Amino acid sequence: MQKPPASSVSLPPIIADWFATKGWSPRAHQLDVLASWEAGASALLIAPTGAGKTLAGFLPTLTDLIDNPGHEGLHTLYISPLKALAVDVARNLTIPITEMGLKIKVETRTGDTPASRRARQRIDPPQILLTTPEQMALLLSHPEAARMFGSLKRIVLDELHALVTSKRGDLLSLAIARLSILAPQMRITALSATVARPDLLRDWIGQPAPQAPTHLLTADGGAQPTLSILQTDERLPWAGHSANYSHRALYDTIKDHKTTLLFVNTRSQAEMLFQGLWAINDDMLPIALHHGSLSVEQRRKVEAAMVAGNLKAVVCTSTLDLGIDWGDVDLVVQVGAPKGSSRMLQRIGRANHRLDEPSKAMLVPSNRFEVLECEAALEAVAENHQDSEDPVKGGYDVLAQHILGMACAAPFFADHLYAEIQHAWPYKDLPRAQFDRILDFVATGGYALRAYERYARLRKTDEGMWRIANPQVAQQYRLNVGTIVEEPMVRVRLVRSRGFKKGQTTGPIGRGGRVLGEMEEYFFGTLAIGDTFMFGGEIVAFEGMKDNEVFVSRAQSADPKIPSYMGGKFPLSTYLAERVRRIMDTPDDWHKLPDPVSDWLRLQQFASVVPSRDSLLVETFPRGAQNYMVCYPFEGRLAHQTLGMLLTRRLERARARPLGFTASEYALAIWGLGDLSALIRTDRLSLDDLFSEDMLGDDLEDWLDESALMKRTFRNCAIISGLIERRHPGKEKTGRQITMSSDLIYDVLYQHEPDHILIQATRRDAARGLLDIERLGHMLRRIRTHIVHKPLDRISPLAVPVMLDIGKEPIFGEGRESAMADAADELMREALGGQ
Amino acid sequence: MRFAGHVFQPLPSGALYWHAQRTLLVADLHLEKMSSFARRGQMLPPYDTGLTLKRLDADLHSTGAQRLVSLGDSFHRDEGTTTLSDADRARIDTMTDLAEWLWLSGNHDPKPHVLGGQCLPHLELNGLTLTHEPRRGATNLVAGHLHPAAHIYLEGRATRRPCFVHDNRLLILPAYGSSTGSINILSPAFVDLFHWASIEVTMLGRDRLYPISPRRLVRG
Repeated sequence: MQKPPASSVSLPPIIADWFATKGWSPRAHQLDVLASWEAGASALLIAPTGAGKTLAGFLPTLTDLIDNPGHEGLHTLYISPLKALAVDVARNLTIPITEMGLKIKVETRTGDTPASRRARQRIDPPQILLTTPEQMALLLSHPEAARMFGSLKRIVLDELHALVTSKRGDLLSLAIARLSILAPQMRITALSATVARPDLLRDWIGQPAPQAPTHLLTADGGAQPTLSILQTDERLPWAGHSANYSHRALYDTIKDHKTTLLFVNTRSQAEMLFQGLWAINDDMLPIALHHGSLSVEQRRKVEAAMVAGNLKAVVCTSTLDLGIDWGDVDLVVQVGAPKGSSRMLQRIGRANHRLDEPSKAMLVPSNRFEVLECEAALEAVAENHQDSEDPVKGGYDVLAQHILGMACAAPFFADHLYAEIQHAWPYKDLPRAQFDRILDFVATGGYALRAYERYARLRKTDEGMWRIANPQVAQQYRLNVGTIVEEPMVRVRLVRSRGFKKGQTTGPIGRGGRVLGEMEEYFFGTLAIGDTFMFGGEIVAFEGMKDNEVFVSRAQSADPKIPSYMGGKFPLSTYLAERVRRIMDTPDDWHKLPDPVSDWLRLQQFASVVPSRDSLLVETFPRGAQNYMVCYPFEGRLAHQTLGMLLTRRLERARARPLGFTASEYALAIWGLGDLSALIRTDRLSLDDLFSEDMLGDDLEDWLDESALMKRTFRNCAIISGLIERRHPGKEKTGRQITMSSDLIYDVLYQHEPDHILIQATRRDAARGLLDIERLGHMLRRIRTHIVHKPLDRISPLAVPVMLDIGKEPIFGEGRESAMADAADELMREALGGQ
Repeated sequence: MRFAGHVFQPLPSGALYWHAQRTLLVADLHLEKMSSFARRGQMLPPYDTGLTLKRLDADLHSTGAQRLVSLGDSFHRDEGTTTLSDADRARIDTMTDLAEWLWLSGNHDPKPHVLGGQCLPHLELNGLTLTHEPRRGATNLVAGHLHPAAHIYLEGRATRRPCFVHDNRLLILPAYGSSTGSINILSPAFVDLFHWASIEVTMLGRDRLYPISPRRLVRG
């Protein structure tokens, strides 16, 4: 895929003059994009933020519209993952268009666009339309779509790397496949951050128009970032994620810089860091907080203050990974494990958008294991190594949604639609039989028991075309479009405390206070009234819950019960994990590590062994009345959780009487009553058998039918595929109701038809999502016959962190029977007069 | 389980067996619930009725009950009696041959039907009143309707399961149907019904029952 020499293109005088008045000259990659367009090719431009990507993306459009002023209708579609980005790009684009004196109509279309304008856009579109994947899906489900998009010549995809690893990318790919039929002449320009496999991304955008070439273009990377690990004299904690020790040093660093972005991995970490910094904020520095649970208005306020340059620092989660450029950020801090090299590089890229100056970033490990991960990330970033996820294969649920949308636009022949979706990269290898099953699912539910023919949503016409059975189907489709499924959330409202009385379960609470934000409903299932937690930077007490609202009051407590609410727990990348293992396995280099860490590893060497690169260390030791098994796969919490679940089942069968387990990013600890060291010594338990890959067969199967994680995955698939609705016209379902009914549906369906297309979809998602079975499988194959068992008298130094996590990290939705059994025993003791 | 001077055997399926009367009690089967969604375009799996009837059939055989009382909301909608699949229809026929089936009417299925057995608004049996909806202040009443569930929290583990709940005047059965949701017994619907000091809660486990201490109950 050679690219044509950029020198072969020349800018139209209007544009060349504009550059000249500005005193700028076009950058090489901007001209490369133009050259690709003029050669009739699609192009993928890999460029860092601040490289003038917007102009690069739109230069061909401006050129073409100057050369062909008579172009009727829509010329260019711009699609971005964030509506804020679409709005920002519209602004950045309108400025040069106005300055050049061009008559080009630029409009955005997002969920916020008034219905009247949206309707008008379908009939009288602008020349450049900026929108999101969800809005694209909606537009294409209208009968006018063929006319609206027939004139389309270009598609610009922004931040493509962020879309292709999710179901939003599936939705986008299907929309583009349809556009490639409606407008065969269109070419794609995609903009992306640096990724591990740019060739896959190029194939992704090349798939819709296989007859045209696709160029891979790379902008200069700019200066190498300066990256360091925070040095302090404070003691490094063994475990936990609060990084309390670093607050003073971080505060001083913030003072020394103009604007600092502090990234953390979870919302609870954001809360803790924000609270910690304000506790020592003697200078009253404007430090703000930004995460997904805060109310939209609050987030917009922070963003506006940031743009205005009024903030000294922002503590944030992945909510600010993407988004509009903030020129003034001169330092990015990552508090807690960086998780992956590409993620880290992209976050670093949020600082200093002037290409010629190096971006500056600092890593702050929150415990000793994370020091190793930070060291690994440092090396990886220095080598500019990319470990981003590859684009994913298409979800069946998204295809189901798309099929329904296409039927809403116009009746179709199954043969034609199947040929069309093969232009979407994620679905290019989908077998026809699978497509037919999904189509059948959309029409009547796809059940082996043909019960619903008379209620069909799609019916076949006499000519053999599929059409929607009635207009309500289209209405329902439009209310359910999209692939983002929120956890059931409740509003958190601040009220005046009513004074908590023990045993009081009802009674009115003062209503109507300020809304602080939203939180996952399940979190409150674990709270008792009066419990305190941090939210929105304040310590609040749980006062009660009514309908979809939670009431909290300001609490006096100095020691809140920290919310362990989820969000943004990315697993440690396979690549960084490999590097961490290598660092541990290279004792000669330990002196480069901070003393507490190298001392710790030497202690481990003395008391047990240090895990080597290719093997799995399994330690067994007694502690108190129980026996522990700790292993160190370094495969991330999700894979460890699944492993823990399956190993406990196997240990139960081996009569080792396991009681529970805790999984961290690095290690897994299982405890029980049986003497594991003795069982292994006497060959009654074989570790090779215990860790054998066949646990992913029957044991996994047994567990899946009751797994809460599977049910959560199923809920997403059921909503996206349209099996259950997000909401009814005029009647909003509460999140709770959807959750309950989707669990029941899963139970009934899994028991009766485990091969159903939606169960298949759920399994595929779970395998690489919440259960991370894929990664677990790789690990089990890697360590086969490479298990090192170390029976010990006592806990090893390396086991300390994961052992400290015991009791702090609840396992989602498990332990059902045991909790009831213990509660029943307790009642029995009460009845017998004991306590 | 003792209630109002009688001995009952609760089953993990959610049924209650009254051995002295050779009577099996179930509440809120909600048959044909999932198929009722299909009419509105939501193609939920059409298997809930079959699964519920299969469990019921197993309970009838294992207890040897001669009478079956379904305490209302046996069908999710009155029309449910006409949308039954042939197989499910046959299953009901077999069971109505096996035991005397008394269908009490519920708010979801107020109309009588002709599926076999008798349809009644409620039933007096050996000093007890069996009916669909529990009433405040009633005595010796066995009812369903509310789909009770207990949510307990114990040393970091939380569990929410359907349950039997009773005091010395009122007993409420859990919903039996495969497609039924549940309501926490701490929610307002239950508050005025019971004398909380003498309440007993029995949760349904995988294959046994767990009488649990009300102290452990939490909301949500």
